[in-house]
Amino acid sequence: PCRWLPSGSLFPLSCIHTSTSLQKIGKWEKKNRIVYPPQLPGEPRRPAEIYHCRREIKYSKDKMWYLAKLIKGMSIDQALAQLEFSDKKGAKVIKEVLLEAQEMAVRKHNVEFKSNLHIAESQTGRGRYVKRLRCHGKGMFGMMKISRCHYFVKLVEGPPPPPEPPRTGFDQAKEYVQQLRNRTLVHTL
Amino acid sequence: VLVLVRSPLPRLRALLQRCWGRLERGLWPAVFRGQSPPWGPALAVQGPALVPQGMSDAGASSLLESVVWMAAPKQRRTIEVNRCRRRNPNKLIEIKRNIDVCPECGNLKQKHVLCGYCYAKVKEETRLIRMEIYKKEGGPFNAPTVETVVLYEGEKPTEKDEGKRIIERARKRPSWFVQN
Repeated sequence: PCRWLPSGSLFPLSCIHTSTSLQKIGKWEKKNRIVYPPQLPGEPRRPAEIYHCRREIKYSKDKMWYLAKLIKGMSIDQALAQLEFSDKKGAKVIKEVLLEAQEMAVRKHNVEFKSNLHIAESQTGRGRYVKRLRCHGKGMFGMMKISRCHYFVKLVEGPPPPPEPPRTGFDQAKEYVQQLRNRTLVHTL
Repeated sequence: VLVLVRSPLPRLRALLQRCWGRLERGLWPAVFRGQSPPWGPALAVQGPALVPQGMSDAGASSLLESVVWMAAPKQRRTIEVNRCRRRNPNKLIEIKRNIDVCPECGNLKQKHVLCGYCYAKVKEETRLIRMEIYKKEGGPFNAPTVETVVLYEGEKPTEKDEGKRIIERARKRPSWFVQN
């Protein structure tokens, strides 16, 4: 797609990347490279999006998921405050990632105010596992796996969106009634 | 995920051995193990249908062995059930509402805890003062019986600091260390 070409390049074939020594550039890192066509004067301003990730963190992906769930939808200042006083090992790592992403946003992605960012998405992924022997007593052994995880974050410029009001019973009842009303007769006149 | 490799439990093994022993001894008249049966030559007399006498002591041993039958999951828990348990709100991390801004340095601090940055500052200064004290004393067990006063650059001991030991620090007095 034309979004991948930086503006003003003449040779479309030069952007074919053959995988060099830097094995694989993951999909999340590539999302930072998309370039949109210039906006028309009437359009509302497209908020800046910054994708950042850290790979092969020595932590469990399930335990990291709890921290990622905590941060989803918060403003970056609130997220940093929560992570600073969290006792988890992954909190320190995620805090570093967020600070790096904030720095990147200000320097490269034309973000004016570093506090005007909020966390749109934060996900964890499974890294490479390694199997190791764990020795028990009486010569018994078990196989344990040393787990690693990736952490992905997407910062978007602007204040955080207001949280959705929780679904009440009244809403559910209204939806049910609406479903009943949508029923029609098929294969008839 | 741990997978334990263990031999069958010794109690189970003992039970199996006892059962096999009973079979061999012929309490349950079914199988002749060797060539020479324990009874005499063959009149076709059926052995009496023995009420298995092993019942009484089998009952006692099965009571002992009933401890061996431990609780184990019957069905694999599906991922939906697992997700419901792991993502239950009581398992999620709660957001902390007791975070404030330290009025001294501007870093974040919890309401009931000292500011980490200010504490580190004070700790560092205390370490340097203690190094000065160590240099003055020269060794362990040389602490004087009088009080100590810390003076910074350009400060003179007052009348109140008459009999006290004086520690000099070669820097300006920090704003948070108030002089009496």
